[in-house]
Amino acid sequence: MPAYILELIVVGLGLILLLLESFLPRLGAKGLAAIGSVGLLVVLFLLPSVTGAPSESTGIIWKFYSADSLALFYKGLALITTILVLMMSVVYVPVMQRYLGTGGGVGEYLILPVFTCAGLMWMASANDLTSIFVSLEVVTIGFYIMVAYMRRNVGSLEAGVKYLILGAVSTGFLVYGIAFLFGVTGQTNLDVISTVLGLLEGQDKIILFSFALLLVAFGFKVAAVPFQMWVPDVYQGAPTPTAAFLSVGSKAAGFIVLSRIVDAFLGDHGVQTGDGSYQDQIQRVLLVVAGATILFGSLAAIPQTNFKRLMAYSSISHAGFILLALACAYPVRMDMASGEVVAFYLAAYLPMTMAAFFVLCIVRSSRGEEEISVLDGLGKRSPFLAFVLLVSVMGLAGIPLTVGFLGKLYVFQAALDQGHFVLLAIATLGAAAGFYYYFKVVRSMYWNAPSDQDAIAVGTGSRVLLALLAAAIIFLGLNQGIILGFLR
Amino acid sequence: MSPALLLLLPLLSVVVIFFGTKWSGTLSALVSVASVAGSLGVTLALFSTDSSMVAMNWIALGDVLQVDIGLRWDRLARGMMFVVTLVGTLVHVFSLAYMREDEAKARYFGCLSLFMFSMTGIVLADNLVMMFIFWELVGVSSYLLIGHWFTKASAADAAKKAFITNRIGDFGFLIGILMLFGLTGTVSFTGLENWLAGGHAGASAGLLTAAALCLFCGAVGKSAQAPLHVWLPDAMEGPTPVSALIHAATMVAAGVFMLVRVGFLIEASETAGLVIAWVGGFTALLAALMATQQDDIKKILAYSTLSQLGYMVMVVGLGSGEAAMFHLYTHAFFKALLFLGAGAIIYACHHEQNIWKMGGLKTRMPITFAAFGIGTLALIAFPFTSGFFSKEAILDIALHENKLLFLIAAGVAFLTAFYMSRLLVVTFLGAPRSEHAGHAKEVSVIMFVPLLILAFLSVVAGYKPVAELLQAQLPDVHWNWFVFFVSLATMLAGAGLGFLRYLDKRSEPKVIPVLANKFYFDEAYGWAVRNLQDGLAWVVRGLDALFIDGLAVGGITRLTEGVGCLFRRVITGNLQAYSYLFGVGVFVLIYFTVFLR
Amino acid sequence: MLNQYIPVLMHLLVVVGFATMTLLMSVWFGRRSTSKQDIKDTAYECGMIPIGENQPRFSVKFYIVAMLFVLFDIEVVFLYPWAVVFRDFLSADQILIFWSILGFVGILFVAYLYALKKRALNWVG
Repeated sequence: MPAYILELIVVGLGLILLLLESFLPRLGAKGLAAIGSVGLLVVLFLLPSVTGAPSESTGIIWKFYSADSLALFYKGLALITTILVLMMSVVYVPVMQRYLGTGGGVGEYLILPVFTCAGLMWMASANDLTSIFVSLEVVTIGFYIMVAYMRRNVGSLEAGVKYLILGAVSTGFLVYGIAFLFGVTGQTNLDVISTVLGLLEGQDKIILFSFALLLVAFGFKVAAVPFQMWVPDVYQGAPTPTAAFLSVGSKAAGFIVLSRIVDAFLGDHGVQTGDGSYQDQIQRVLLVVAGATILFGSLAAIPQTNFKRLMAYSSISHAGFILLALACAYPVRMDMASGEVVAFYLAAYLPMTMAAFFVLCIVRSSRGEEEISVLDGLGKRSPFLAFVLLVSVMGLAGIPLTVGFLGKLYVFQAALDQGHFVLLAIATLGAAAGFYYYFKVVRSMYWNAPSDQDAIAVGTGSRVLLALLAAAIIFLGLNQGIILGFLR
Repeated sequence: MSPALLLLLPLLSVVVIFFGTKWSGTLSALVSVASVAGSLGVTLALFSTDSSMVAMNWIALGDVLQVDIGLRWDRLARGMMFVVTLVGTLVHVFSLAYMREDEAKARYFGCLSLFMFSMTGIVLADNLVMMFIFWELVGVSSYLLIGHWFTKASAADAAKKAFITNRIGDFGFLIGILMLFGLTGTVSFTGLENWLAGGHAGASAGLLTAAALCLFCGAVGKSAQAPLHVWLPDAMEGPTPVSALIHAATMVAAGVFMLVRVGFLIEASETAGLVIAWVGGFTALLAALMATQQDDIKKILAYSTLSQLGYMVMVVGLGSGEAAMFHLYTHAFFKALLFLGAGAIIYACHHEQNIWKMGGLKTRMPITFAAFGIGTLALIAFPFTSGFFSKEAILDIALHENKLLFLIAAGVAFLTAFYMSRLLVVTFLGAPRSEHAGHAKEVSVIMFVPLLILAFLSVVAGYKPVAELLQAQLPDVHWNWFVFFVSLATMLAGAGLGFLRYLDKRSEPKVIPVLANKFYFDEAYGWAVRNLQDGLAWVVRGLDALFIDGLAVGGITRLTEGVGCLFRRVITGNLQAYSYLFGVGVFVLIYFTVFLR
Repeated sequence: MLNQYIPVLMHLLVVVGFATMTLLMSVWFGRRSTSKQDIKDTAYECGMIPIGENQPRFSVKFYIVAMLFVLFDIEVVFLYPWAVVFRDFLSADQILIFWSILGFVGILFVAYLYALKKRALNWVG
């Protein structure tokens, strides 16, 4: 079965859900989420059995679509993320209904993630500038709606408008960049572009210009400095499941495409040599952007008091770490390509972020607030939630024995191998700052006196899911082989 | 069946107890007993196999660092595992009766299972990192069990003291591991062995000695060697079965076990061996002297444990790991027996521990007396008990390797016989010296059956066929009449002196303050902490407040917070401002990418 | 090299010329009223009255219908490129050219059903 069937199935699933929602309104949010998750789960199980491009390239589709192991890995990430987002949305529905007014249903909110998931999966496979653009827009348009979904909530609307306008601007730059790249090479397929770029001479400036434009667009997607300013506002305003989806799904897809593009530009250039070639310059730019992103994310996170804003800045800082891995094109001593380090980091980032947002969703739906202070005394009131959140922030901070530690470790190792000592120092500073601001959450949960004694009700399904996520954070941290096994 | 089962069984029990059966003490106790009995069964079933396996690659950083979770199942591990699981099983069973009325029975048995898990991990570990992790875990479980009655201030303090003192040793252990890794690039025992066999590529002997001694620091802490011995007597605040299992038979022997595991390192460095041997000998003598003047039955046994551990460490230093392990093996049985016997006595006398308030228990608790007597005979190396064979081996090796240490060892043998006969006479003979002792009754079946099993083993475990069968390490020594007579003479002299001096006495005839006060070690440490450390701390705190807090940390904190606030100001929430910044960002990025090269 | 852009230039000229001509012609041929006539002087705003309260209330139906129209209209435009390559594909890959447009129209159909069911096309509702 060729890999693109999966995307077709997911789109079909979305269409079926759409029809079910309109013709069978009795189904409700839970029913839709259940059908959607089960369907995506089936696709997840089909994932290992798909095949890549046939050797004699016949179908036109394979010119736009690749199904290497990295693509399949990211497809898996997208599917898992979407399933978790659907689960989270069910918990969040009561909060949302408060802001929908009469006549507003939540049905679409549970269906849009499925379509977006198809876009994310396609992005993972896109290896042609046109398919990159189209799949990216499929994802982004879904997000525009989801961010602004709580239409009677000023914050959500504001977030929606900001995301829409800045997103449109960044899309403009993407098209501009694609146009320039096409202008230079006359090709749209990334593999062919890579070959053509290798043959060109004396066109460095125009190549770099097109790269800069593409970097603007993807910098916006993955929240890299200086295109990160939308992140805190949008995370804070958007419904929490959407913030989680943005933080994991959208970012992962942005990184897979960015890493494919960077690979195309670098060709077989590899390590930064200092010979002044445009490949060197690209690596240098990536390093600078990575350093700035880590610094900005980590430092600006310190004074935050809102949990979602904190997560937003932490997500910026993590993006910096991933960019750093991307900039270290081919680490010498580790037998891992930079793409694999990036993939590992993102896979590690998934359960940690999802667990944190999930707990936040549950707390929010019972307390109606998202300040860090709402977690006061959670360790006493709801030990289970507090424990899961503890594991998750420990992972995000990169404490050993969690999967987050391994992710950071690989990045540091890669930077060390290439001798980027300034970046290493910045990354260390960022990680140290991370300990500080994540610890605020822990302190609030376990040291501060609770504002009230009521335990927060957690459904059985959520409980199981949270336990699974926490277990994954620890278990994957103990055994790095699992993620690597999926990667190869 | 795989040795991994040995690790999984107790872990399963911990999980079941703490997450499932916490509400029921009895159920938890049964789960725990079943798991340890299962471990014993698995050990016996695996007696004839020999394997090493890697369960999983835990950390692999290219070819820089490889840490596996791997198990090593060789004769050393088998013998040790047998001791641990057998004594463990008996102690678990004994605890069923001893802790019957305890309120926190579930926690107690959960912690015992945690201990069994950690101890198994130490025995099976095939690399230093894994051993260190389990090493710390036994520290934790020991802490939890010593402080089981944490509402009692002395128990809580003792637990803290044990933990902190151990940390000092563990610090050295960790440094040792890191040094070895730096030298060799591997942390697995096999890897280290191969490295040494390959002529340890260019590492200086000095560094090797330093690394070996750093590892030894860990053993000094865990096996309570001087000068870190102070925690063990205090650890007697824990329940007595715990003292028998952890602070006599198994955990404190882990230090010796570790030294034997890395015996090839000690062999490679003469200086390290010498230092280890002298620390061991010194501890043996010091502890034996202190034991002669204690009044608390468990403390006497604790000092005796210290002294016997000193023997083992000494003989490891003298280059015979087999003799050390052999003594560890016999000692585990008779010392567990003595502790459980003491537990039975304490239980019968309503938690009275002062031997001067006992007396006359021979007739009231005949079975316990018989068992305790056998244990005493084994400890003082009465001919043809198990302790006799192992001590003979130690003396023999000391005689050949170092005459001075042989003298010390013989002196310790004399002192051992002396204080043990004192203990026996004061506790069991004469008339009862308190109401509780007068009303003491023989303990229940469930308590004395473990005693009898251990008594049996204390007698027969030393014979070669039995030891062969039980997978113990056997030292390669021959019968030596000189050693035999020295041993016999010191034993008889000590025991005779003890009997004559203490028969029918109502209180200590002559108090020797320096011994009764344990050479003022605690006082000295207390003084040092109070004056030196606090003084130093005062100075450091001043510097800290001035430079670190004021300039470095404070400065950096203020700087970062300042920068953070500055960054935060950039995020105004105004869309026009964002778009403007976005545009500026685009210009900067393009300028930087294309023109700034 | 620039020769190939001449069609673009011509297109530009036609567009600009058309707009200019329309405006100019309405000035030339249209009758100008001398008196002030409100209706004729108001700007044309898609059927909305441009002067009134600053936040006028109006039916959202109007916009929904308009947006749906634009959406479906644009989708129909996509059929043109399909029709252009249809003949070439008949010889190359018949299955692909058939199923791709069927999927496309199918999605549109589902969207239409959805809009219908959600009463987006009901003016009163």
